[in-house]
Amino acid sequence: MKPRVAIFDFACCEGCQLQILNMEEELLELLSVIDPVEWREAMSDRSEDYDIAIVEGSITREQDADRLRAIRERAKVLIAIGACATLGGVNRLKNHFPMAEVQKIVYGDAAAMPHLATMPTRAIDEIVKVDYKVEGCPINAQELSRVIRALLAGSAPATPDYPLCVECKKGENPCRYDYGEICLGPLTRAGCNAWCPSNGFWCFGCRGLLDDANVEAAEKVMEQYGRTADELREKIILFNTPREPGE
Amino acid sequence: MPQKLIDQSSLGHWVAALIAEHKVYGVQAKADRFAFDALTEADDLRLDHDVTILPPKKYFHPPQEILLQFDREAMTFESVFHAEPFILLGVHPYDMAAISQLDKVFSMDHRDRHYLARREAATIVVCDVQTASPEVFAGCMGHATMEGQSGHDMLLTLLDDGRYLVDPVSAKGEALMGPLAHAPEADQAALQARKRVWDRNRRQLQKNKLKMKPSELPGLLAGSYDHPVWEERAELCYSCGSCNLVCPTCYCFDLRDELNWDLRTGRRLREWDGCMLRGFAAVAGGHNFRARRADRYRHRYFRKGKYTWEAYGEIACVGCGRCISACTANIANPVEVFNRLLEER
Ligand code: SF4
Ligand code: SF4
Repeated sequence: MKPRVAIFDFACCEGCQLQILNMEEELLELLSVIDPVEWREAMSDRSEDYDIAIVEGSITREQDADRLRAIRERAKVLIAIGACATLGGVNRLKNHFPMAEVQKIVYGDAAAMPHLATMPTRAIDEIVKVDYKVEGCPINAQELSRVIRALLAGSAPATPDYPLCVECKKGENPCRYDYGEICLGPLTRAGCNAWCPSNGFWCFGCRGLLDDANVEAAEKVMEQYGRTADELREKIILFNTPREPGE
Repeated sequence: MPQKLIDQSSLGHWVAALIAEHKVYGVQAKADRFAFDALTEADDLRLDHDVTILPPKKYFHPPQEILLQFDREAMTFESVFHAEPFILLGVHPYDMAAISQLDKVFSMDHRDRHYLARREAATIVVCDVQTASPEVFAGCMGHATMEGQSGHDMLLTLLDDGRYLVDPVSAKGEALMGPLAHAPEADQAALQARKRVWDRNRRQLQKNKLKMKPSELPGLLAGSYDHPVWEERAELCYSCGSCNLVCPTCYCFDLRDELNWDLRTGRRLREWDGCMLRGFAAVAGGHNFRARRADRYRHRYFRKGKYTWEAYGEIACVGCGRCISACTANIANPVEVFNRLLEER
């Protein structure tokens, strides 16, 4: 029997789900091995009976945290997809401000309404156990497809634990630092094939900092390029605001 | 074999003729740098390049390649080989020296048929350096010219009078001559002029100056295992592997399997790896033989200057200078490290 798969979204732009829909021919291959039972962006069915839960988005309200816990309880395997789900993503920038203030800025007079109550942004694995992560903003559908195939075959999906520079070098890109830009490649988990540097942009760090990212080194290296550690930190927080404020 | 003397326009016609008949890869501009790529216009060839971002090893040992296709249920596999003939135009002598090292490595012990199939399919046209790159030190490593080196099929040298000396050195090289067979033969004066280019390149390809002979490196390193330089410099190391990946003599790789959607058939991939990456020396069970940055940082220099010498008689650095420019933290200059070890011995 094909595994039943449900796709859920929390606070995000739903661009990662869109990446799955954009898989085109591969989508049919995916559907030949899984049985989608809930997927708001693609179908109207809903179900509480599934094996694999794919979750996008970050958690910004208590009621969403509860919903996520219920999903976790039903799913045998939970895959978090996209920077919002794996890191908290851009949404996490609000954690730099008091909650009452952001609520007021965004909702104005309506801020007091109970369903608009907000809490500091959390990544999925800060609320429940996550079995696999597919990083990126947006995700690369090829990577998700590799993870699902490995999972169905019973092997552990391999995720890179080395910096983006590896893929950037393999792609024979000139380094963004040679053009006076601050690139987060040396600190960021690879896996996107150096998408941004290959198209002439610096790396924004959307796949998350490496477990052993040498941020201290990066801060010192800025000087060699006439840039400051503060400028580097400003770039880092876009996707990688630390898990606890002030950390 | 007849050495010929041709002017630049005949060179252009000759390259155009090669492109018309063969698969040709040549050095071309890439943004404000240079790279080997498929050549479709003779005018795009840049024999005046200083250095390419990646060395030509990518044509023999690609960043990623499929080694075999397998079927998990039938328990069968089929090896994949790439043997389509091609011509590489514009390889610098130091890169040729590195290819010769790879030839040795990939034929040692277990012969790597994937590498060797690509290598045999290649005709390599080396071109003497016309512009020194900012960090090159091939002149210190004995690889500024092709004198005393082999492995290539043809050598092109731009002489000071603006003409090219074309020197086919193998049957494959001679087979490329085509219309050049009717060009005038290079006389003694031309050969002398080439010698002058070589002498000059030996002097000029020393933008970094190694203060010892390469053959002294194994001995120097033997006494430098506990030198403070490793810890000091590794502090700024990102463990990004750039210095490995751009190196023409680095050949380490990793293997990975990928399944098709039938979850039965798939392919085995070989991908570049590097000893500066944290996971490189990690083994099953989670142990990492070089878990610390400084351990990895030191290992790279020992590998370049000592271990490969002991394993197959080569210093695994030809002086291309690519690692120096590729290191964002500016700590990967082997000449700086080796000179310091010498001074503080
Ligand atoms: S552009 Fe960024 S990712 Fe690429 S090599 Fe430079 S620092 Fe690394
Ligand atoms: S290129 Fe520089 S920062 Fe990167 S691994 Fe090599 S020495 Fe370390």
